[in-house]
Amino acid sequence: MKEKRFGSWALLRRLTAFAFLGLLYLGSLESVAWFRGTTTATRLLDFVPFGDPLAALEVTLATRELAVDLLLGAGVLVVATLLLGPFFCSWVCPLGLVLDLNQALKNRLVKRWRRYRWMHLSLPRDWRLLVLGLALGFSLVGGLPLFQTVSPINIVAWSLVFGAGLPLLLVGVIAVVEWFAPHLWCRTLCPLGGLYSALGRRALLRIRVAESQVTRRRCRQCTLSCPMDIRVMEEEVVACHSAVGDPDCTRCGACVDACPERVLGFGIESATTDRAS
Amino acid sequence: MHRPSRRQLFVGAGLAAGAGLGGLFRLAGSSARGAPLLRPPGARTESDFLAACVRCGQCVEVCPFETLKLADLGQGLSAGTPWVDSRRIPCYLCQGEDELLCIAVCPTQALEPVADTREIRMGLAVIDTEVCFAHHGVICRSCFQACPFPFEAIVFDESLRPIVVEDVCIGCGLCDFACPTEPSAIPIVTRGEGRPS
Repeated sequence: MKEKRFGSWALLRRLTAFAFLGLLYLGSLESVAWFRGTTTATRLLDFVPFGDPLAALEVTLATRELAVDLLLGAGVLVVATLLLGPFFCSWVCPLGLVLDLNQALKNRLVKRWRRYRWMHLSLPRDWRLLVLGLALGFSLVGGLPLFQTVSPINIVAWSLVFGAGLPLLLVGVIAVVEWFAPHLWCRTLCPLGGLYSALGRRALLRIRVAESQVTRRRCRQCTLSCPMDIRVMEEEVVACHSAVGDPDCTRCGACVDACPERVLGFGIESATTDRAS
Repeated sequence: MHRPSRRQLFVGAGLAAGAGLGGLFRLAGSSARGAPLLRPPGARTESDFLAACVRCGQCVEVCPFETLKLADLGQGLSAGTPWVDSRRIPCYLCQGEDELLCIAVCPTQALEPVADTREIRMGLAVIDTEVCFAHHGVICRSCFQACPFPFEAIVFDESLRPIVVEDVCIGCGLCDFACPTEPSAIPIVTRGEGRPS
């Protein structure tokens, strides 16, 4: 097998996710007054709010009031997602970072992992929408933002900032399960990811397919590398799309890193058009 | 007729299931929420607070006395919300600051602004006469001396035993913290669901 090229996008997105975690940690120090908060709501310079759109929705449904600060903060992320797609998942999410590293560790330890494909358990991707509906329905009728209470994304942040230890078990369980069912959480369960995917359907930033793709050999490295199990080669490249159109694409760049022929790359594309084959 | 897509079906099924569970949770009432916690100043009543708190922890981060703690999953559905263990560190009402910082940073008004610290109703100090030194003939005024509203929230009867005035006590826990007995003879209890007056 061809030697894998140095994964530059993987490194970059891990750095940004680490930077976000570092920011959360700094914000908890008494000497740092310019940043505060955790994943559900943060505040920069005592003025610029950021909010988790799902948390904002849940609280709004649970209280039936409009919390201006939180909604403004969520608006910032909604606009970013409308432009960039569900970038949060791969570039910012603390749990995404933990699970990404967990997966990388597994792939390194289980060298010839393709022999273990029989352990590749999976659920349909639409289950994220089921969990999303569940969270919103519970908020509305039960009057409690249920997902924010148990969210493993929040738990990673709470543990780092406030030293909560016990809930980390939940994250550990997910990490262990993902050795047998890769990317199970992000791909098929996370309601926040489901919401971001729905918001980012018409995003401008996309993984572009180079014009010359048809002549290339069909090595499937992009499909095999995709953490969201998007069949990049079969359903995007060979289907002659100008860019990856699947709304679940988190713009992580794994396929760009994996492609030996440099067919894929980041680009601005308002709509994915079909090219005449 | 419009046929719902697979995605819409999934969201719909989730909404229905969530609404059902939420309804059960509503019916179970306060028992499902677990033991009530002592909340920061300005907190809404427990059920409203649990609905409005977005679990961001900013109040815990700004608290200058490290009074506020973040509840974890061991405390059930309160996970991620701020609470006070007044025996460990009471609420000093942001002494030395211009405002109550936790209320100022709350992005959802789960902690609502108060015009005056006297309006705070975090909880209520309750004297355990079995344990209290003053009720056993020992001269002790620790709670009275710690109280931010002496002669108003804590007064004395004719035998110099302390009495908490329910309408004035804000539940800050300074008395609980100062009490020399073990366990404290003046723990703070929550004020329950009814809107504290």
